[in-house]
Amino acid sequence: MSDAITFDERLDTSGLLCPLPVYKAGLVLGRLEAGKVLHLITTDPGSLEDIPALARQRGDELLDVEDRGATQLFWLKKGPTERDGHK
Amino acid sequence: MTTFLKRQQQLGTDRHVRRYDDIRQLLPDVDQPTPIVRLNRVAPELDLYLKLEWLNPFGSIKDRTASYLLAGLARRSSLQHKQLVEASSGNTAIALAALAALEGLPITITIPDGVPEEKRIVLRMLGAEVWETPDDLCPVDNPRDGAIALARSIAQSAGGEDYIWPDQYSSPDNVKAHYETTGPEIWRQTEGQIRTFVAGFGTCGTITGVGRFLKEQDRSIRVVAVEPQKGHRPPGLKSFAEAKEPDILDRSVIDEVVTVDDDLAYGMTKRLYREEGLIVGPSTGAIVAAATQPDTSDVPAPGLTVGISPDSGFKYASFFIDHLGDEGLPRI
Repeated sequence: MSDAITFDERLDTSGLLCPLPVYKAGLVLGRLEAGKVLHLITTDPGSLEDIPALARQRGDELLDVEDRGATQLFWLKKGPTERDGHK
Repeated sequence: MTTFLKRQQQLGTDRHVRRYDDIRQLLPDVDQPTPIVRLNRVAPELDLYLKLEWLNPFGSIKDRTASYLLAGLARRSSLQHKQLVEASSGNTAIALAALAALEGLPITITIPDGVPEEKRIVLRMLGAEVWETPDDLCPVDNPRDGAIALARSIAQSAGGEDYIWPDQYSSPDNVKAHYETTGPEIWRQTEGQIRTFVAGFGTCGTITGVGRFLKEQDRSIRVVAVEPQKGHRPPGLKSFAEAKEPDILDRSVIDEVVTVDDDLAYGMTKRLYREEGLIVGPSTGAIVAAATQPDTSDVPAPGLTVGISPDSGFKYASFFIDHLGDEGLPRI
C-alpha cells in the first residue's frame, strides 16, 4: 500500500527527538495546499502515537503508517481546513 | 575644526553620572540597584513598594537571569561556534538575544502560545530565530510545556552538539542571579526592615533566590508566591496545575501561595497605570493584587512589603485591548 502512495512533499526527521518531528511536520503540513500528501520519516518510536494525534488535532488524514523498527514512515493528506492548534 | 572635534581623551564609565562604555554595565547590583517605589494610592493602608525591574537595560528582571546564565555557561564550556537555544515567554529571550548579539552568538528561541506579537518582533529585530510553539505541541504528552520540550529536543537531537541550552528552568545560575543581586538590593533598600516579599511563579528563580537570601537574613520574613489561575493569559507566570514545576523551585522558602485570576490581575494593572502612573506588565498587576488582598487568615499583618514588577506594559498593548472595552475612545 505504502509504495503506491504518491506524495507531494517528503520530510526526513531522522535523528530528531520528540517533539521536533511533530513540530516540523506541522510546519510543512501548514504550508501544503488541501489534498496534498506529506511523506514523513521519523526515528522516534513516540511518533507512532504523536503523528496520528497531530493529524487528528489538525484535521488531516493519516493515509498509512509503517513501523520498520528503527524507522517509522507516515503518509499524511492535508485536510480541507486549518484547525486551531499547531499552525 | 579638526582640533575642535578631536577628543583629548576618551571618557570612561562613571556610574555616578550614569555614563557607561557598554550597555551591559547597566546590569544591576547592590551598588546600582533597580529602584523600589512606594504605592501610595492603590493600597494606602499598606507599606507596599514595587521593585521596578523594567528599568533594567533590556527591559525586564530577566536581564539578571540571562547574564548569569551566559556567564555560567562560559565558565563551564566555550561558547565559540555554538548556537544558543532557549524556551522563553519573551523576557529571558529578549535579554539572552541582546547579550548574544553583543557576543556574536546566534540564538534560537522557542516561544509558547499567548506571547504578544510585540515580543516576537523585538526578538527578530535582535537577530533571534523565533520558533512559535503551541503549548500542546506534544499532543499525547502534556502538560502544556511545548516550548521547553522543543528547546530540549533541539539541543539533544542529531546536530544538538552545535547548540547550548541555558535552560533557565533548571539552571542554578537563575537562582544565583537573584540570590546575589535582587535579594541583597532589596535588603539594603529597605534597610533590613522588609517583612514580606511577593513575587510570581514563573521559572521560580526570583522567588527562590530572593526568598532564600531574605530567609538567611531573617527567617520571620514572609515570602509569598503568586500563581495565576489555570488557563491564565499573563505571560511569564505559570500555573503549576497545568505546567511542570521548575527544578529550581525551592518551596521551603515560600510561606504562602496566592492564586490570582486574570480579571483581578488586569484590573489591578489598570489601577497601577491610572492611580500610580506605573506603566507595568500584567504580571505586576497579579503580584500587587495578591499583595493587597484582604487578610482573611490568621497570618500576621504584612508590614513593609516589596513586590516585584518584572516588566513594563509596552509589550502588552495587544493584551490590554481585551480589558479596555470602549474606555478611552471618543464619546460622541
